[in-house]
Amino acid sequence: MTNSAKDVALSLSLLALSAVWTWLVIDTIPTGWGHGDIGPRAFPMVLGIILGGLCILLLIRTYLLGRTPAGKAGTGDVDAIEEASSERWGSMILVAVEISAYGFLLQKLGFLIATPILILFVLVIHLRLRSWKTILGMTLGMTLGCWLFFEKLLGIYLANGSWFNIG
Amino acid sequence: MEIFLQALASAMTPMAIASIGLGALIGLIFGSIPGLTFTVALALALPITFSMDPVPAIGLLLGTYIGGMTGGSVSAILLGIPGTPSAAATVLDGHPMTKQGNASIALGTAVIVSVFGGVFSLIVMIVSVDLVSRVAISFGPAEIFALVLFGLSTICGLCGGSLIKGLISGALGLMIMTIGIDTIDGVQRMTFGSVNMMQGVNLLVAMIGLFAVPFIIEAFAVKTSMPEKSQRISRVKAELPSIGLLGRNLWLMIKCSVMGTGIGAIPGTGGAIASFLAYDHAKRFSKKPESFGKGNIEGVVAPETANNAVTGGTLIPLLSLGIPGDPATAIVLAGLMIHGITPGPALFMNHAGEVYGMYVAVVLAYLWVLGLQLMGIRLFVHVLKIPRELLAVAVLVLCAIGAFSIRNSVFDIYAMGAIGVAAYVLVSFRVPITPIILGMVLGPTLENEFRTAMMLSMGDPEIFYSSPTVLIFFSLALLVIGLQAVSEFKAKKQPKNEVKADA
Repeated sequence: MTNSAKDVALSLSLLALSAVWTWLVIDTIPTGWGHGDIGPRAFPMVLGIILGGLCILLLIRTYLLGRTPAGKAGTGDVDAIEEASSERWGSMILVAVEISAYGFLLQKLGFLIATPILILFVLVIHLRLRSWKTILGMTLGMTLGCWLFFEKLLGIYLANGSWFNIG
Repeated sequence: MEIFLQALASAMTPMAIASIGLGALIGLIFGSIPGLTFTVALALALPITFSMDPVPAIGLLLGTYIGGMTGGSVSAILLGIPGTPSAAATVLDGHPMTKQGNASIALGTAVIVSVFGGVFSLIVMIVSVDLVSRVAISFGPAEIFALVLFGLSTICGLCGGSLIKGLISGALGLMIMTIGIDTIDGVQRMTFGSVNMMQGVNLLVAMIGLFAVPFIIEAFAVKTSMPEKSQRISRVKAELPSIGLLGRNLWLMIKCSVMGTGIGAIPGTGGAIASFLAYDHAKRFSKKPESFGKGNIEGVVAPETANNAVTGGTLIPLLSLGIPGDPATAIVLAGLMIHGITPGPALFMNHAGEVYGMYVAVVLAYLWVLGLQLMGIRLFVHVLKIPRELLAVAVLVLCAIGAFSIRNSVFDIYAMGAIGVAAYVLVSFRVPITPIILGMVLGPTLENEFRTAMMLSMGDPEIFYSSPTVLIFFSLALLVIGLQAVSEFKAKKQPKNEVKADA
């Protein structure tokens, strides 16, 4: 995908988001009472309209005038992604699944069971590591290390499971 | 003088020195782990102080506060994930320095300038507590709104290649923070009836998602698609910054310390605003503004000096008026009151000894932080020896713990994942994500102060142009936007001129 095509796709999707956002804000949030009460609706509504306006500006700039803003994600951002590949999108989806599954397992099985499952899955399935020393070291080290340090030493509550509870 | 000597004696007991050191260590640990803030550390440390004497007890709390403020820079520089919102601006140049193999110089500089900013603000506090507290308290909602608007104008300097994309990013950040229960009217906004959505998006959860999740995705993607490219983040060197380097940045440190102390003295502002304003100031007045974002040491010096100068600034309204500027100082206030020290105008008459003891404790806390961090740098940089994908696995677990522990809610882990994936998509479309953080940090204050000001004036907008302070901040915001527009225009014109010259 070229930079121009990316910008068109970005502005159209954010334009749709701003339209839905503004509509939902108007539909669900009440206005103020007057006499200086700006009300809870004003800011989100104005922000939705501003976002829409900016997206239209980006669209005009890219699509009609044929200008593409400089191709850099911005100063100091997390590694600007050089090229989007199917592996990158695949990895993104897999990480999203892993985080969601970890949240679910944490609630049901607790920290001490959910964490080794997550680490094992990531190392063996996602990263395809085959060194059993590394896999065991990471899985047990991270789980027990975090449990001892956070829960036992610092007294921070780590989740207990609703199905099992061995913490 | 006699009272001061007594206070010095009470602050220099082994018990007091050890408790300040313990506080600094706890603060450093909590500050350096994304999601675990020094506010949490202070809440955990408060019960420990119940049985202690006043000076060691307050020393423990102040040590935790100062250690936490400084510790945020460790993960910001090493991993590109700020430990606290105040360290978000440090990522911009601190992490690129790590990639260039200069992690230890960045870390060393960060801790030294932090100590400078903190001690500078303490001196300002001692000398001018009366005057500064009077000026700071005169800031009403309109003045704070104007200050925050000025802070938002720094988005222009963080846009990278495209001003429009930077503004889109900032608008997204502001929008995210309107989700949840409206703090003024108590109305639900964009919650879709979900109990979890009612508490809104937590700033720390969003920050972890924005910075950590894209790092994790990228590390895993590189390992699976290009195993030969998967390697350590950078070369590891354990060098400290030279005196010459610090000397060259002395003027910048002084300016950022003044900025941080002033902003810290205004209740409801805080380290994040100070550090972004200082970063923008450093970039604007630098001889090499184009090198910002690529590992310029000034980009570490400015935010770290300013956010630590905030610590002294926040103590001004706390001690002289009993007004805490942020949740962390509210816990310090609770600690003071538990030990029978009631801040306010009579504090210096009734508890002069304890107040002088606190001043000594702040200096000791910074000495502890300096010692612990300088010793720790040799240890911290070894994190970079770990292969990137294994580091990402550890970061994934630590960030999930951090997100969960903020409110003991699994929903925050889901929110972290969703925001992180959205951030990755935005970065792949070359949208800068730093303005999102700025929008999220400043958004709630911007809205609340604007609405409060309008309520106070019964809807009359005159409140925004009748105060000289407001007009000054509005003018500064316009100046920043104007300067950015001019520099963009010049940058666009330059290639055209070069083409003509070539022809």
